[in-house]
Amino acid sequence: MPPAAENGAFCPQLFHAMPYATTLPASPPAAGRIPGSKAMWVGIFCEVTEFALMFAVYFIARAHHPEIFRAGPERLSLLAGTGYTLMLLTSGWCVARAVHAMRASRQRSSLRWLLGAFVFGLGYPVIKLFEVRWNLDHGLNGSAGVFIVTYYYLTFNHLIHVFWGLLGMIWVMLRTATGSYSAQEYSGLESFAVYWHATDIIWLMIFPLFYVLR
Amino acid sequence: MSETRKLDLAWIALVLLSVGGAALGGGPDADMGVTVLIALVMGIKVRIVCDHYLELPTATRRIRQAMYAFCYGMPILVILTTAFGNTLAQMTGALI
Repeated sequence: MPPAAENGAFCPQLFHAMPYATTLPASPPAAGRIPGSKAMWVGIFCEVTEFALMFAVYFIARAHHPEIFRAGPERLSLLAGTGYTLMLLTSGWCVARAVHAMRASRQRSSLRWLLGAFVFGLGYPVIKLFEVRWNLDHGLNGSAGVFIVTYYYLTFNHLIHVFWGLLGMIWVMLRTATGSYSAQEYSGLESFAVYWHATDIIWLMIFPLFYVLR
Repeated sequence: MSETRKLDLAWIALVLLSVGGAALGGGPDADMGVTVLIALVMGIKVRIVCDHYLELPTATRRIRQAMYAFCYGMPILVILTTAFGNTLAQMTGALI
């Protein structure tokens, strides 16, 4: 954005007088805006609707089989569930810092935060691999009852969304590395960020339902 | 307080709530009080992500309201399903 005089008009003298700056103070986002892009929010509300329906299935199944669901969390690995949560939360924090760094025109810092987000995000499918193996060793397969079936149904759906997010993260890292985003135009990065945070939110709901609530 | 500091504190709060919330799972079978506590922790964590990472306070009213409805609806449903599970089972008997 070119510099503007106090009345909002473009001011060429100010533009030429302004020294080249590699970092800028991060300006807070304006109120009443759409974080990211409209298209991404359409996708997020589709995701939210999809999971709302699956949560409805969970609640109905729980109402019909309260004893099975009360005993369910004991059959799963709480360590794995907590591990997913910490990985996703830390990855989400890195993404939030990446967006903030981009707003401050610190592209290199933004890329480093995104790399951190990717590493922690990758922790999710890695833990999933070990957890599924552990589950199968303990007889928790698709015929292990309504609780386990609901658990697989919801968590594998969430895993798919995490995969989409990781692919998106690779894309925004490439865009950041090639200088495609700036403090003035980073809507692609922010769109990815809102998707990743929405996926975080879904997990923060899944985690207590299957690993904690008895 | 700087914005980055707020993001860092939000992350610390989320980690502490997650580890503390997971500890609730190690206890004996939950009564209604534990269920409310679990729902409360869920609601607080989701609200922190909404406010500090999703930046919903600066988002348009419709996005903000829709997301808050979803985020608060879930913990409320957890409590209602625990309190009125039999009623829900009767209402949905034809589905199962």
